[in-house]
Amino acid sequence: MSRLPEQPGERISRSKTISFRFDGKTVQAYEGDTIGSALYAAGRRTFSRSFKYHRRRGLMCCAGQCPNCLVAVDGAPGVRACTEPVRDGIDVRHMNARPGLDFDVMRATDLAPSALTPPGFYYKTFIRPRRLWPVYEKVLRHAAGLGVLPKKQAEREWRTEYRRRHADVLVIGAGAAGLRAATAAAELGADVVLCDEGPEPGGRLLAEGHHERARALADEARSAGVEILVNAPALGYFDGLVPVWQGATLHQVRAKQVVFATGTIEQPLVFAGNDLPGVMLSDGARRLAALYAVRPGARAVVATTSDRGLEAAVALRDAGVEIAAVADLRPDAAAGGALGDRLAAGGTEVLAGHTILEARGRTTVTGAVLGRADGSGGEREVDCDLVIISGGAAPATSLVAQAGARTTYDAARGVFRTGELPDAVHAAGDLTGAVGGEAVRLSGSLAGTEAAHALGLGDGASRARVQEAHRRLADLNTQAVAVAVPPAVAGGERGKCFACFCEDVTAKDIKASIAEGYDSIELSKRYTTVTMGPCQGRMCQLTSVRVMGQETGQTLEQVGLTTARPPWSSVPMGALAGRPIEPAKRSSIHGRHRELGAKILWAGDWRRAYDYGDPQGEAVAVQRAAGLIDVSTLGKMLVRGPEAGAFLDRLYPNRFSNLKPGRIRYGVISSDAGRIVDDGTICRLDDETFYVTTTSSGAGAMEEWFGWWLADWRMDVHMTDVTQAIAAVNLAGPRARDIMATVCDLDVSNEAFAYMDGKRGLVAGVPCLILRIGFVGEVGYEIHYPAAHGEHLWDALIAAGAEHGLRPFGLEPQRLLRLQKMHILVGQDTDSESTPFAAAMPWIVKLDKADDFIGKWALEHYADVEPETALVGFTMADGHVPTEGAVVVQGTTPAGQVTSSRYSPQLGRVIGLAWVASSLARDDARITISDAGSTYEATVQNKPFYDPEGEVLRS
Amino acid sequence: MSFEFLAPGAAVPGDRFAPVARTPMERAARAAGARFEARDGWTVATGYSSLEQEREACRRAAGWADVSHLGKLELHAAADDLAAIVADAAGGAALELGTATRAGDAWWLPLTTERALVVCEPAATGSLRERLEAAAASAARTVTVLDATCKYAALTLVGPLAREVFARFSAIDVRARVLPVAGFRPGSIARSPGLLVREGEERFLLMIGWALGQYLWETVADAGAHLGGAPVGLDALAEVAIGIAPVREEAGRA
Repeated sequence: MSRLPEQPGERISRSKTISFRFDGKTVQAYEGDTIGSALYAAGRRTFSRSFKYHRRRGLMCCAGQCPNCLVAVDGAPGVRACTEPVRDGIDVRHMNARPGLDFDVMRATDLAPSALTPPGFYYKTFIRPRRLWPVYEKVLRHAAGLGVLPKKQAEREWRTEYRRRHADVLVIGAGAAGLRAATAAAELGADVVLCDEGPEPGGRLLAEGHHERARALADEARSAGVEILVNAPALGYFDGLVPVWQGATLHQVRAKQVVFATGTIEQPLVFAGNDLPGVMLSDGARRLAALYAVRPGARAVVATTSDRGLEAAVALRDAGVEIAAVADLRPDAAAGGALGDRLAAGGTEVLAGHTILEARGRTTVTGAVLGRADGSGGEREVDCDLVIISGGAAPATSLVAQAGARTTYDAARGVFRTGELPDAVHAAGDLTGAVGGEAVRLSGSLAGTEAAHALGLGDGASRARVQEAHRRLADLNTQAVAVAVPPAVAGGERGKCFACFCEDVTAKDIKASIAEGYDSIELSKRYTTVTMGPCQGRMCQLTSVRVMGQETGQTLEQVGLTTARPPWSSVPMGALAGRPIEPAKRSSIHGRHRELGAKILWAGDWRRAYDYGDPQGEAVAVQRAAGLIDVSTLGKMLVRGPEAGAFLDRLYPNRFSNLKPGRIRYGVISSDAGRIVDDGTICRLDDETFYVTTTSSGAGAMEEWFGWWLADWRMDVHMTDVTQAIAAVNLAGPRARDIMATVCDLDVSNEAFAYMDGKRGLVAGVPCLILRIGFVGEVGYEIHYPAAHGEHLWDALIAAGAEHGLRPFGLEPQRLLRLQKMHILVGQDTDSESTPFAAAMPWIVKLDKADDFIGKWALEHYADVEPETALVGFTMADGHVPTEGAVVVQGTTPAGQVTSSRYSPQLGRVIGLAWVASSLARDDARITISDAGSTYEATVQNKPFYDPEGEVLRS
Repeated sequence: MSFEFLAPGAAVPGDRFAPVARTPMERAARAAGARFEARDGWTVATGYSSLEQEREACRRAAGWADVSHLGKLELHAAADDLAAIVADAAGGAALELGTATRAGDAWWLPLTTERALVVCEPAATGSLRERLEAAAASAARTVTVLDATCKYAALTLVGPLAREVFARFSAIDVRARVLPVAGFRPGSIARSPGLLVREGEERFLLMIGWALGQYLWETVADAGAHLGGAPVGLDALAEVAIGIAPVREEAGRA
């Protein structure tokens, strides 16, 4: 164990010991530990194997920034051990190594000459011979990716959900600046959400000995009413929507103002062996020691470009780590200062103008080679088990850049920081280049206050504070910053120098890509995949830009950054998917259908009874006795007003203004271009009221269509969609009238209630609108009534029909029955080119209507032109049921297609509808249907297959 | 013009048939253990567990109740006619877009300047419709009064976590400063067109298409149960006050 004595501000609770398993072995931990800190304390140094070369990787950042500690936890891959809290009993396993972490056979790729695996080698290598691609693919798929999902679906699912959160201000980043920003905005009355990817607010303060200050700032924020989300990284910025992932919840935060206080990311140095376990960022080592009381090493070498590394050296020395040497890249005059003096006083040698050239060791660091930064020698090897590196602090600009902010290059520090900001976007803290604790906190307060001001909050005093803050910040930010810009690569000749740890891209790889012509950072990114791994550029953006600049001779400003894209933090797909919420419409009779054993399928956004187990038997029952089908899904509208008839005359090609009250007429809706878009029946209820039905699938579109034209024409007409308010059933068959007579208070004789009559009456005690129509070709009553009585009326009809042989029937038998009558299904038998003329319905177009109607101009044209194709019925010669969509051919040329086809048990033959060449649209013409590789003969029939004269319907 | 084929309350019970209206959430409520009673021509869920347990759910987390049986009347008229009819029938109440007006034990909800929805107790639906029709009689232009009870399924969500439950399936901003008590928002609820009324600090009335009633129940129950909530019956719901004083008829008429 390498636990330190109790550290002030440590996060662990030493009185609570818990255990978990790593690769099958039990590991002891304290409550508050991360998986990473517990494993490190237990002596583990190798946490993962790298993506391409399968090199050992160990803890480096201890902040969830780098990819070095990815593990699988309870089957979920891609979890960062350094930030994932330990829970009792969890099962943690390594990823990307076979057979194990300490011996991985794929390490051979690292030992092979690098000429065999240059960047893009897979693009070049596996393209020939082509016939071997299936083998290559199998191997590559096996080798690619990080982690393995559990095979069983149930084991790779967990509950996730969205939480929508509106806020006045969202602050991203809960370091000192973010906390101050949140508090300042909240104190002025703003509703503020603050999110941070760490386990508690405070940012760097926590690990740098200022935990009490951090916790006080957090308490202030909470007292001001700030909602603080921890372990909650912001994933991106989507036009004001910021998804924040927190465990099983994806917060969709919509804030009017967003403050980005994302801080900085400590950068690694690029040198030989910079990925060896034991090489650790200074912040990472400090976190490990300060928050988890784990000694990162016994003897350390520090390589730094700023005071950050020196501060870490002092802190770690105070915690009991021997600091063997410090290589400070800054030249003598700038380096050290009081920190350097402190280190020197403690016996640590501080080497100004030096950097690290190589980390040595086989499985973990055993030594470091230091040398002069200008390559003029001065090399020395120092024994150590820990290399602390600090390559500067790069502002985390990705999120704010996604929000539209510009970035500017800060030549003094060698980093990119935030520049011009768009409206409603604010930046605070290190992101803005603020220097020192006071400037950071002040810039936070300023950003929060300005965000509140933008919302109209605040007063004269707060505005005065803003002015003063601007003045003070200007003073603070003029102070010189003692930072050295590191070389792109140091010690490159000594071994692999990694620019990108996620994708195993070396500095040499980037140079190779430039040599091949990929000489911009965006092209190089795509070719080498640098910045495309789990760290999303946190560790490799700046290093790769530096290599690019060095090799191309461009300044870093000219090289620029790659485009910032979400997600900023890696996130499971399941978290993005959220709960599967899929609106399902169900008729008020739906439960009965289920009880009757119906096969339920989707029909548009409805759940419908497709059949009750015997579709053909159900169809036969309708024709021989009676059937009952739920047609509640039909679109239904009330159109009302003195101009209602005129309104419908304008919408439909036929007339409705002359329809008598109590009568029904069929209508086809055509588009401006004269194409069929929907159909249905219209019943006139009184002089000013029409009841319009549409197809089920077209209900929503027709409501919009009617609404658009009504708004445009400004007629005195009211239109009300009552689709879901009204249940509807169709009682059909030769015994339908007998059944109706037992439940209805109306005279349902043919004389009193004729075909195409619409009447209102009571059915089983329920007020109904009854339409005598016959989509399925039999005597039929389409009964429309309040949805709340759906099951009652259905039950009453079923009971009344029992002695008459009534059966419920579903969508499939209905399709067969309507096909026998050649009643079209819009959208199945028609398409976007179908006109009423071509669809054998010229009679529905009343071109003699005096007033204009939608599609009139086009239909007048079509009336004078012979259509190229026509919709006809057909019967098959040999009993084959062609696939709907099968091609009608003339010779070998496609000349149409089958739109509907069924075997009709009643007729004893296969029937269908098809579009054919107009020359073939005559009775007894022979057509050829190509289906599934064979051709079949069929005979055209233009009249309905069943009851061609409509005598049954009218009887 | 009578549109009784839209009105569940217009059913005529007799010797042979005794129609009782049912809500689209009834089966889901039954599966959740609901006890039912017939009230005002409807089968309604009056309770699930004990009254005390349901009270506790409403006090500590969230409770949800099927209130689809509430009467709903849709008014359609020219803007000035609509204002006059509402003022006449609702004791002087005026409609303001985005705000629900509580008058005569009913919610008056302006869908647009020309359309309004009135939500009332089921027993009051018939008489209120008659009042509206009477008030509409003097309008010069077309006025439509429809029983829209079955157009919308309705669910009441109550409790300190009601907002949190709601946030699991809707992006409508229900913070008190944006949607105060008596605030009204048409918008997307559970990815479907819906209506939302804030009936009290911790009480929301959700309305959605009738055919989506079961789906809404399942969605709310899934989110609510995960946050420690439970379904509640009408008896427990009755104890959670609607948090706005009704418009006094005398004051309105004055």
